[in-house]
Amino acid sequence: MEEKYIICEDSLEGIFTAIYDAYALREGHERLHVQVGETDNYRLFATYLHSQPDFGKTEKVVRTLQSRLGEHVYGSICRAAASDGADKGDAVYHTVVDGITDGHGERTMENLRNPYVARTFALARRTANEVNHELEFIRFQELKQGILYARIGPENNVMPFVMPHFADRLAPEDFMIHDENRGLFGVHPARGEWYLVSGVEQEAEEMQEVVQYSDKEQQYQELFSLFHKTIAIKERGNKRLQQQMLPLRFREYMTEFQRREDSGS
Amino acid sequence: MEVKIAPQMSLMDKLKILADAAKYDVSCSSSGSSRKNDGTGIGNTVAAGLCHSFGADGRCISLLKILFTNECIYDCRYCINRRSNDVPRASFTPDEVCELTMEFYRRNYIEGLFLSSGILYSPNYTMELICETVHKLRTVHRFQGYVHVKAIPGADPLLIQRAGYLADRMSVNLEMATAEGLREMAPNKHRKTILKPMRQIQNGIVENKNELTLYKHAPHFCEAGQSTQMVVGALPESDYQVMSVAESLYEKFSLKRVYYSAFVNVNEDKQLPSITAGPPLLREHRLYQADWLLRFYGFKVDELLTKERPNFNMAIDPKADWAVRHLEVFPVEINRADYRLLLRVPGIGVKSARRIITARRFGNLTFEDLKKMGIVLKRALYFITCSGRMMYPTKLDETYIVQNLTYQNQMGKGERLPFLMDGTPYRQMSLFDEGQMLDDTRNFVNVCSSKTTGDSRITGNSVITGDSKITGNSVITGDSKITGNSVITGDSRITGNSMITGDSKTEGVLYTA
Repeated sequence: MEEKYIICEDSLEGIFTAIYDAYALREGHERLHVQVGETDNYRLFATYLHSQPDFGKTEKVVRTLQSRLGEHVYGSICRAAASDGADKGDAVYHTVVDGITDGHGERTMENLRNPYVARTFALARRTANEVNHELEFIRFQELKQGILYARIGPENNVMPFVMPHFADRLAPEDFMIHDENRGLFGVHPARGEWYLVSGVEQEAEEMQEVVQYSDKEQQYQELFSLFHKTIAIKERGNKRLQQQMLPLRFREYMTEFQRREDSGS
Repeated sequence: MEVKIAPQMSLMDKLKILADAAKYDVSCSSSGSSRKNDGTGIGNTVAAGLCHSFGADGRCISLLKILFTNECIYDCRYCINRRSNDVPRASFTPDEVCELTMEFYRRNYIEGLFLSSGILYSPNYTMELICETVHKLRTVHRFQGYVHVKAIPGADPLLIQRAGYLADRMSVNLEMATAEGLREMAPNKHRKTILKPMRQIQNGIVENKNELTLYKHAPHFCEAGQSTQMVVGALPESDYQVMSVAESLYEKFSLKRVYYSAFVNVNEDKQLPSITAGPPLLREHRLYQADWLLRFYGFKVDELLTKERPNFNMAIDPKADWAVRHLEVFPVEINRADYRLLLRVPGIGVKSARRIITARRFGNLTFEDLKKMGIVLKRALYFITCSGRMMYPTKLDETYIVQNLTYQNQMGKGERLPFLMDGTPYRQMSLFDEGQMLDDTRNFVNVCSSKTTGDSRITGNSVITGDSKITGNSVITGDSKITGNSVITGDSRITGNSMITGDSKTEGVLYTA
């Protein structure tokens, strides 16, 4: 029998809908694959099906995964689906098969002998690591209106995992996180519920002109840069370790690594 | 009358002086405390802690680490802020500390505040200032992030208790591993006055736990426990002494962490060792590795070190060192060994041991599976079998394994040290201390003065710097580099492209290719 590829949108909804469609085909799972986004390398003797994100199907899949696999496995699957791995659709789909059809349930993520589970595990860890980095390295800047604004450029779609942390931590603050790679905004009104805004890429370009910083912002940036410089022990200087712990790609967005024209003292 | 030395000092100047003065305190963790925001202010804490930045020395910056003041009535030899030093002095006001903490925290620069202080007027006066500051931060600003404060030895127990209810973590620095060392280094400090608040905090935490089981909303006392730090390398104390002290602190005082601080001679005090070679970072690294073995791997100090063997092997890490000296335990069968035994295998950590335990329920694991789970096979392969087979045919032999593990090191593929080996001379490698493993068929780096006696065989690309003395009939093959004043006596045979610079003396017959 020939292989079948289900092509879906690069989103949690897209992948879950594709999984629903794959199950609906009622064919052997080993010959079915979920492919995120169009491929430019079509295979001969394979059928390609397209799947449109569907809210109802997604909801059913979410419900099934949560009840049959538990929050832990469901969390790993969501993180893997948010990663930038090109093969994430297939990894997640076959992990679901391992959990539901093969019946490993809440212990699915422990079955690392299954290559798809191992891949989902690796992708989920990749996202989790970047989420953790962003929790640490995000730098807010205070705008004139008192809103805190941060820019990030993550490889994986970390926003859904980053927002709850800051929504709790900075509950009384208005803040906004801007994922420049995806044109995605995480918005949190003070003491309110956070939400995501996407598809405003056009405005993102103009963003830099719109943002105006508060009067005190510059002063605190300088104070922190000074602190950052002062706290290092000269005799222990170790740039290599610093770079290992704080990869260069984050520094573009970090206050203490910005070159300053008038660096105070 | 209040005398102010610099009345018009800006916040910038103060931060510079007081962050600079606080940087030698090692503790910077923000872990151990897990608290949600209660909606009245900003802040929460995360159990695992978060590191918000990393300094040019590669150390994590998690907390706003500052001294309240660097004025001090004490005169400790190792301390930059000692009374007899002529350094610029400054003091924050409680409001300034609060402002900095709140504004830094909002911008996600920091995870919280680390507040220490020099002793201003008296321990009580200082402790009260610290309490007042943190109290203001917690009540006026409703700050719910992480706070680490120092307990000042000699302060009133009531003040320490008050601080404990405000802070997540408290610490009292032990400073030196031995009581005699402390007397010598810090004439105003005594072991007893340091241990007293430590005990008080420990008891406070235990009582608080009981309280919390009865009353869910009782205030927390030092939720994240307490820590301490010791300076290593200022006095000739052995690793065995240091680790024994650490072990008893963990066991008898239930500390969360003991920090080790490689000595930096900031005062150029004549009675202290000069560290032209830089702080003893490798030694510090080995101590931390051993510390982890104590806390997470079920090791005891007596397993790692003994009175006869009081220092760690600088060439291989303490766990590998233990493993090669206990080959009777190995090889360990991955599909059967229990958790405790898996933890003893070099290359398997806490996480990967857990993964092995859970994954093997689904079927036998292979080396390929292990690789995906994050086991460091290049270290583990000498000690494990999968379904009764080893990965490669290897010898279960101490010298052979040590050679291979250290060979990888020289190739830059082995143990990942957090700093470069090159150009950083460490103290003498104990490879040679014990007069063992002289017949070395491998590449080795020998930095600093060493003495190799007996017939040596050094093959591979070796680098020998420092004043070395190699006696006996030596054979050095491969591309070797010997710098420094080396003395090689006996009939030596050096083949390969070797470079010998410095005033080296070779006595006896020297064969070079």
